[in-house]
Amino acid sequence: MQINSLSEQGTLLIAAITLFLLAAFAALILIKSHKLCNIVSNVICIIAAFFGVAASVIKIFIDNTSTHINIFTSTIPFISIEIEFDKLSAFFVLCLSVLVICVSIYSIGYISHYYGKRNVGLFNFLYSTFILSMLLVMISSNAIFFFFAWEAMSFVSYFLVVFESEHVENQKAGKLYIIMTHIGTAFLLIAFMIMFSYTGSFDLRGSSTAIPEFAKNIMFVLFLIGFGTKAGVIPVHIWLPRAHPAAPSNVSALMSGIMIKTAIYGLLRFVLCYLHVENTWWGISILCIGIISAVLGVAYALMEHNIKRLLAFHSVENIGIILIGLGVGFIALAQKNEFLGALAITASLLHTFNHTLFKGGLFLGAGSIQYATHTKNIEKLGGLIKKMPITALLVLCFSLAICAIVPFNGFISEWLTYQALFANIIPGEAGINILSILSVAALALAGALAAACFVKLFGISFLGRSRSAAVENAKEVPVTMNIGMGILALMCLAIGLFPTLFIRGVDKVVSGMVGTSIINQLQGGFIIAFYPLSISGNAISPLVILGAIVGVILLAIFVIRIIGGKYIERKYGTWDCGFESLDSKMQYSATGFSKPLRIVLKILYRPRREVEIEESASSYFPTSIKYKVSTEQIFEKYFYAPILRVLKSLSRKVKFSVQTGSIHAYLVYIFIAVIVLMLYNRLV
Amino acid sequence: MSDFLDVLSVLILLSSFILMANKRIKSYIQTFRIQSALIALTAGIMGIDILSKEGRFDVLIVCVIIIAMKVIYIPHLLNKAYTNVEYKIEKDFFLNIPILIFVCCMIVVFCYFSISNTGGINLGIINLRVVNSVSLILIGLFFMISRKKAIGQIIGFLVIENGLFITAMLATQGMPFIVDIGIFIDMLTAVLILGIMVFKINEKFDSIDMNELKNLRG
Amino acid sequence: MANVLYAVIQIFVIIMLAPLVNGIIKKVKAFTQKRKGAPVLQMYFDLLKLIKKSVVVSDVSSWIFKVTPYIVFSSAVAAALLVPVTTMIMPVGFAGDIILMVYILALGRFFMMLAALDTGSTFGGMGASREAMISSLIEPSILITLFTVALIPNSTSVYQIMGSMKAADFPLIHPVYILTFIAMLVIIIAETSRIPVDDPATHLELTMVHEAMILEYSGRNLALIELGAAVKQLVFITLLVNIFIPHDQFISIAGIGAVAISLLIYLIKVIFVAVVIAIVEVSTVKLRLFSIPNIAALAFILSFLGFLQYFILGR
Repeated sequence: MQINSLSEQGTLLIAAITLFLLAAFAALILIKSHKLCNIVSNVICIIAAFFGVAASVIKIFIDNTSTHINIFTSTIPFISIEIEFDKLSAFFVLCLSVLVICVSIYSIGYISHYYGKRNVGLFNFLYSTFILSMLLVMISSNAIFFFFAWEAMSFVSYFLVVFESEHVENQKAGKLYIIMTHIGTAFLLIAFMIMFSYTGSFDLRGSSTAIPEFAKNIMFVLFLIGFGTKAGVIPVHIWLPRAHPAAPSNVSALMSGIMIKTAIYGLLRFVLCYLHVENTWWGISILCIGIISAVLGVAYALMEHNIKRLLAFHSVENIGIILIGLGVGFIALAQKNEFLGALAITASLLHTFNHTLFKGGLFLGAGSIQYATHTKNIEKLGGLIKKMPITALLVLCFSLAICAIVPFNGFISEWLTYQALFANIIPGEAGINILSILSVAALALAGALAAACFVKLFGISFLGRSRSAAVENAKEVPVTMNIGMGILALMCLAIGLFPTLFIRGVDKVVSGMVGTSIINQLQGGFIIAFYPLSISGNAISPLVILGAIVGVILLAIFVIRIIGGKYIERKYGTWDCGFESLDSKMQYSATGFSKPLRIVLKILYRPRREVEIEESASSYFPTSIKYKVSTEQIFEKYFYAPILRVLKSLSRKVKFSVQTGSIHAYLVYIFIAVIVLMLYNRLV
Repeated sequence: MSDFLDVLSVLILLSSFILMANKRIKSYIQTFRIQSALIALTAGIMGIDILSKEGRFDVLIVCVIIIAMKVIYIPHLLNKAYTNVEYKIEKDFFLNIPILIFVCCMIVVFCYFSISNTGGINLGIINLRVVNSVSLILIGLFFMISRKKAIGQIIGFLVIENGLFITAMLATQGMPFIVDIGIFIDMLTAVLILGIMVFKINEKFDSIDMNELKNLRG
Repeated sequence: MANVLYAVIQIFVIIMLAPLVNGIIKKVKAFTQKRKGAPVLQMYFDLLKLIKKSVVVSDVSSWIFKVTPYIVFSSAVAAALLVPVTTMIMPVGFAGDIILMVYILALGRFFMMLAALDTGSTFGGMGASREAMISSLIEPSILITLFTVALIPNSTSVYQIMGSMKAADFPLIHPVYILTFIAMLVIIIAETSRIPVDDPATHLELTMVHEAMILEYSGRNLALIELGAAVKQLVFITLLVNIFIPHDQFISIAGIGAVAISLLIYLIKVIFVAVVIAIVEVSTVKLRLFSIPNIAALAFILSFLGFLQYFILGR
């Protein structure tokens, strides 16, 4: 191993990598004892993640140089393990490490329900390797090494998706996931090959000036499709809502919280830092994909009743919001408006971090619900707030954060995105300004639909009466699980209340890439985040607003106490119109809750309903009514199914005409291939 | 005055949106009447302006003709036709109303795109009115496409005519008088013929659904 | 000091005035129906009475149900802090813009929908699900409208917007503002549960939206929610009148007298809008729930066309 500049964060990073490896092997060594293995492996992961946090915080805030570590250089060309740790990497490593700390703490409790039932050692081995592979994706400085890490990440996550492999749908989900992710990887591979053929190097730090314009455009499209598949943008999102629910919840939290963000990292690393944004249409296409993903993602989430599928569709939505920011940034950079570019990319990176926190937390919350009730279907829940008060409070915090409601962190990044869009309207040419205002509309619609969706999620599963016996027996989850989620919730609140502190960090990352810092125009210290155009009125201060809200509440309590006297409360049943036996079946269900929107947006869902009524003597009192409603996944039906049909018929033809099974035919193919290659060699 | 004309051109455009969002045939006629009144108002304002500046009063005459024909006579004719048919509400659309309205929005965006690059009229304020009026023509056409009943077709036709008139008016301070008169007479004839057709279709097919005309093919 | 004075005026005017707007609307409606109607100040009496009564709480509900009235009320008041009733007093660096205002109101709405589901009542779920639909459909129009009026000052701050409108003297004679004004009026009607969208006076399960959500509330909790809803309504009306019908540029004197005159004119404008809303309420019928998307589409095209006109005008 040869380390060029051994600064302290380099050491810390190497320590983190080593510790993740150690955690993986510790899990294998202690495979016999489930409990010990789980605790040891997770504790090592936590320590390693702390090293990661330390390394990236030092990198972002203090060190301005780039750390380059050459771990292994082989004599075989191109295969060298080189690490490049700059501020962009550090930012994503920070996201990863923060989430890993919380998820690992959570896992100590969560995995306990696997004890004696499943191979905990294998799970922890895969878990640690998964984290390690993501870490390596973020810090590799060589396209081939990046590619290996990327593949490792895909494979390990595949094994984690199919970990509970006895369910057929999990196997199917895993299969779809591995196919989709490899289609994406194929596009990346082509892009890397183009990169090599023009520059003669796989080095990501190299210059891209040798690549001509049209090749850059092709590379951009390839990167967009390749990384877009990993990020789960519409229309290549179909693996996401299947794979995330199949995986164990702590793994879903990592997958949704950070794995799909590696695609954002890839876009920034390859398109922004390597290719440099030159054409406006790059940004426009990213913006359009962002708008579509944001709106359709949340629209489909609204129809889901499986908690984890619902959350997975929200990941599509949030990736869309991140891409809206990124698209505006790329448009602005292509037009040499570096200030706006920096603002928009700051918004998008901050949203990346925020989404890591609240979506990770929500998946952990879903895991807690599943741990306590053994169901993911919210139609079977209800009234959990009384059984699991702490989990309920934490999930409420995350729900508020994801709906961008003050004073949580989601609002801050959405506000910055709105401001970037607003700033993009004014100088925008015809077309870009209209696109910007449509993005504003899309963002507002997505925000309101997300609120509807999380009211449904929280209201149906935690409030009201319990809908099944599973809830009656539910108990509060182990304390480590709540600690893991609690840290995330506190961070959500901290970013929401003191945004400038965090924007400062993100700004350092962005100014490294774009060359313009926006922090000088952000005034007001830790409390007030001013709109960075130095217009004093254009400001928000979540802390002051929270203070105002609390103040008004206290005032209201005080005034009401004076006027109305003591608070007298009577407990009584819910109003039942005199029917006197209101039960849980008469509550609104999740299906009922989303019905108005299902009808309004029926063009998206194409809902079908079947009602089966079993008649009895009187038609007013049927013995049973079955109501079944199903929505259609239009992308699968109208986009994937035709492609599959064509592929199938093609492969059937190939089977009969080309793949004849005759050994002579195959020899002829080889012969022809050799001849053609030799001819090519002679002619070109 | 220029501000007033801008606002009027926006309101005329708005009236076509309201028309598009309507389902009742009675309200079609009413909205058309309001639109024509707004156009007459525009013509009136411009007419007074031209009278005071150049001494011509032909625009004012056109204004009076509009009031007489489009605000009073044609709506009256249509109302008579309306009382004779039994379909008072348009029920089945090819697309639902929010989508129709959204398409209309896109039409305006498209007009903006197409016209903002046209040479000669790309001069700030005229541009706005021209975009609005050309959108009015296209929305009228789209209205004809979206409605199945015959009265809807007549209204759409009249809206197109309104659009043409207001485009000419706002872009070039009014066409020559004789051209205006000619167009009005053409239009009146067209409305009369269409009105008769409505009766005939209604008689023949017991419905004023234009799709029934398919049955006339051999 | 200016900040404190500002906040006091803001909170005092809005909370004190909010029930009056409801009273005026009801009175106008009564007049048009040839009834005498309740006194204009009836809502104040109602609130006082409600505060003095004891509270009945459903035994199914949790703490969400109890904190919601306070959050709904205080979020409406916090939003009111961001929308100046008079531009005569400019607070120094008070922090909040139109986007924040929209999202603070979303906080109140979020908890209101949760509380409706909390009691396990069918009415509550119904109200919440309808509210979710209406608010999602109307939300894009609100932001487009506000962004369009924010374009000229190039700032999302409410003060800057009102300031730039004051410079325009009569903003309504302008193609952009006439459209956004109508859009805003439609938005107010949808957001404040007024008749074509929701009926504030009904308790019929086929039609109610807002009333269904608060059906389980009683006593001081109900008082807070009612007052919160009234405050929210006044916030929107204030936004409308102070942006589109600015008046402070006509007051030539300065000092306390100017503030008083400004507030008086503001009161007249609010009453005027209340009368307009009442007339809209009596002259239309409650729409079918699934016709509400048409209203939302209308609001959307009005705001979007307004935005387009801004660019077609070429600034």
